[in-house]
This record gives sequence, C-alpha cells and structure tokens, in this order.
Amino acid sequence: MESVLLGIGVTALAGALATVAGAAEDTESNIGSQGDPNSQVQLAPQMGYIHRIYNKAVSGEPPAYGLWVTISAGVAWAFMITGMNPVLAIVIASALAVFVQGVYATTAYLGRTASLAKFEQPVYIDVIKSVTTVTMAHAFVAIFTTVAMCYLLVEALGHPFPLPLLGIVWGIALGAAGSATGNPFYGKERQYQTQNFGAGVPISASGNIVRYAEAGQRSSLDNGWFTAKLGGPASGVCFGLIVFLELWRTVLFESVAGGWGAIIAGVVIILIFMIIDRYIEVWARKNYGPYVKAEEVSA
Amino acid sequence: MTAIAAKSTASEGINPVASVIGIVIIIAAVAITAVVANFALAALIGVIIGGLLIGFGVHFVPVGGAPAAMGQSPGIATGVAMLAAGAGLAGLFGGAWAAANPEFGIAIVIAAGAIGGGLLMAVTCLMVNVVYIFGMGIPAASGKVAKDPITGDSQAEYKSQGTEGHGLPFVSYVGGVIGGMLGGAGGTLIYYELLQVYAARLPEIFGATAEGVLPVAISLAGIFAVGMFLMNAVLAAYNITGTIEGPHDPKFKRFPRAVIGCAVASAVAGLFAVLIVVV
Repeated sequence: MESVLLGIGVTALAGALATVAGAAEDTESNIGSQGDPNSQVQLAPQMGYIHRIYNKAVSGEPPAYGLWVTISAGVAWAFMITGMNPVLAIVIASALAVFVQGVYATTAYLGRTASLAKFEQPVYIDVIKSVTTVTMAHAFVAIFTTVAMCYLLVEALGHPFPLPLLGIVWGIALGAAGSATGNPFYGKERQYQTQNFGAGVPISASGNIVRYAEAGQRSSLDNGWFTAKLGGPASGVCFGLIVFLELWRTVLFESVAGGWGAIIAGVVIILIFMIIDRYIEVWARKNYGPYVKAEEVSA
Repeated sequence: MTAIAAKSTASEGINPVASVIGIVIIIAAVAITAVVANFALAALIGVIIGGLLIGFGVHFVPVGGAPAAMGQSPGIATGVAMLAAGAGLAGLFGGAWAAANPEFGIAIVIAAGAIGGGLLMAVTCLMVNVVYIFGMGIPAASGKVAKDPITGDSQAEYKSQGTEGHGLPFVSYVGGVIGGMLGGAGGTLIYYELLQVYAARLPEIFGATAEGVLPVAISLAGIFAVGMFLMNAVLAAYNITGTIEGPHDPKFKRFPRAVIGCAVASAVAGLFAVLIVVV
C-alpha cells in the first residue's frame, strides 16, 4: 500500500513537472520560431516582407529537444555516478545543455537569416543579443523539468531504462507534443493576427506575416508573451496528461488481472478522450456553423 | 519539358525490380543470421515484423506539417516522422516498463507498448482540436473526402475560404490513435526481441552474472529500438512525401511500398544488432 501511495505521489509530481516542461518548450520554440510556422518567417522576406522575427528552425522541435534533454540527462547521470547530489547534478547538467542550445540558436539564426541576404533581409545583432538569452532561459526550464521527471521515473518508480535513454524518449515526446499542440496557435493566431478570426489563413496570404507592433517593429519576445496565454499552457496540459496518465494507469493497475489491468485502463482512457474529441467536434460544427451553405459547395 | 510541366515520378505502385532486390536482401539477412547466430533467428523475424508495424502505423498518423500551423490544411502541425517517433517512443517506454516485470509475457509487453503510443496520440489529437476549436474558433474539416468515413459528417462547407481544410476530423483522430498503437507495438516488439538475445548472450561474453549485465542488455536493446524506430519512421515519411490526413487520404494506399522498405531496412539493421553479440 505504501509503495502505491508513493507511486501516486511521484506520478503527480512527474505530471506537474511535465506540464511545466510542455509550457516552457512551446514558449521557447515560439520565441525562437522553431516550429512549423517558421516556414512563414523564412518565406516573408522572399515575398518582400522584411522582419525582425527570430529564426532558428534548422531542426524540428522533437529532435532538438531530444538532443538537449539527452545531453542534460547524460551529463547528470555521469555526475551522479561520481557521487554528486542529484538535484545539483541535474541543475548543472541542464545549464550545460542550455549552452549547447544557445550555440545552436545563435548559429541557426545567423545561418538561416544570412541565407536570405539576396532578399535584403538584414541580420540584426541586437535581435541575437536580446532574444537568444530568453530562449535559453525557457529552454533551461523545459530541460531541467524533463530531466528531473526522468530521474523520478528511474529512481522512484523503477523504470529499467538508464537516465540518458529516458532523456531521448521523453525529449522527443516533449518536442512532438509541444509542436503538435502549440504550433497552430503561434502560426495562425499570432503570425497572421490580421487575418479573420475563426478561419484558416488563405494560401494566397502566405508570407504576409504581421511585422509591426503597437510601437515599432514586432519582436519575437512579444510572440512568446502572446502564445504563453494559450498555446504554451495547452502544450503543457498535453505533455502533462501524457506523462501523468501513462504513469497513473501503470502504477495503479499493473498488478490487476495479471498485468492486463493497466492495458484495460489505457483502453478506457483512450476511449474517453475519443468521446470528448467527438463531442467538441460536433459542438464546433453546431455553434460556429458552416462557412458556406452546402448548395454553394456542390454548385 | 519544364520542371513545372514534368509529372512527379513518385507513383502509388510498387517498383517490381526494387522489391525483388529488397526481398533478396531480407532473405540474405535471415540466411546469415541462421548460419552465424541461429539462436537469434526468431528475434530477427520479430525485429522485421516490428519494423513493418512501424512503417504501416506511420501512414495512419494525420500530419499537416507547416500548412496545418496556419490552418491551411488538416492534420497535426508537425513532421510525420517526428510525431510518429514521439508516439512510438512513448509506447516503448510503457513496453519496456512492462518487460522489466518477469511475470509478464510477450502479449502484455506488446499491448503495453501499443497502449502507450495510442495514449500519446489520443491526448495530443484532442489537444490539437481543443486549440483549433477553442483557441482559434475553427471547426475540423477534411480536404480529401466529402464525408467523414466514420461519422458521415459532410466536410466541404466547413472548410474556410482558400484553405484545404483544418483541424482533425474524427477519422483523422481515430487514424492517429491506431498509428500510435501500431508504432508503440512495433517499437516494443523490436526492444523485447533484442532484449531476449542480449540477456541470454551477454553474461557469457562478459563472464558476469545475468543480473550484472541486465542494465547493459536493457540499454543496448533500448538504444537499438529507438534507432530502428527512427529509421522506419523516416523511411515511411519519405513514402508519404509531406503531409497525410490519415487512413482516408489517397496517399495511404502507398503503404505497401513503405512496408517492403521498412522490412528490408529492419532486416539489415536487425542483423547488425544481433551480430554484436556473436563476434
């Protein structure tokens, strides 16, 4: 009974850490414009729209976070083998991984932006100075919380994978969840803020991203401020739910029915999510209505 | 002929010559294993089946890439290989956890992997629709079919002007969950088969106890499973070329080609994974 209680407590803590990680990951990637909406940041100068948006998408979020989290997990693992306190080891290892992220971000911005020189897009040194450190700070939060979560999975819940291998698994999953959930909010709602609310961006508008703020040109820091209102928290909820439910069903039901209890619990959870999804899909169709009438479509 | 006028050479069908060459490579890999490492023959077959499951499963995952991030096309706004990898590796996490319990047989281990992958996709697909519907006020609409094959909902009038659709219609949601489950099961099968081989052979090679080398066996099997997962996911993504809405998308019919490709790649990679405990 005590082990189950401990397991539930660790599950809750791991879920909370994952929630923070997901929110920080999405905000970091939006400030650095690393997700799929980056295609528009790269396209804009080619369409004649010069901007001051940061641009570091030389890799997708999942492999990038797979790398940074694994570096941190590997270094922390090595530190702990030498007898270092686990909390200190994870903090120092995350800081070291963030330096790798900083180098990655700087070189990626310089490389991607310099490639647009023929379209007269300048490389802004002040953008590097002001934005890179902010992405590094958010990356630190995401990396530290993910590695701390992985450490809990190994030490408290007894997962057989070593810490660096868990870093690969959950680093890639973090990037996948964060980019899947957060990208549309940044891409549609922020970059194309001037387009109609409640509709996709017409393909003909591609590249015409919003480049001006209330005063002066829009900064990537403003994009982080905006997406932290919904895209970031939604990504956090997504990754937090994934981690929490995966652990919860295993910790509570693994011993039921010779191991099948956790499987059945997982199937039930998936079906519940499926029903919720269908409900909100129908809700949207009823409340928002069609864009055009069915006869016009067939005409 | 200009580049614009030229038609894509990527066809839906299977290239017979390439397929025969691939099958010969598979037979060669199996034959080498049978001769050099007969004890691992079943494991290699398991690895090949795992690769097939991953390659097939990736085709179910609804991925819209960059256009989906602007609400210009349906699907999840990220890359095919990476989303599939995220789901499959989450499944591998669950499968490996179940495999650590000696009381559990292969059926529970594979099922645990499948549910882990399916759970990630179920949560992610729901949150994608939550952001589209409640964050952006956009209903789900497919660009590839007039009606959702599962619910029968008409799609065309819910597409906003100048787009190919947006969000995840229910058929795409179900496809995502099935894809995650197949990926999780495939990755876990690869891990489980390799773990059996390493756990049996490493004590003899290292001259140590079975308990002593178990962490090494788990790490080796885990890293090979992760690597083979990414390899198969990327191969399938090349077959899809960009975006796919799910099982109702015409591109889904391309899956036999990816299945052959993934089987060949898994056979060769599996051979090397087995050989490291023979040489």
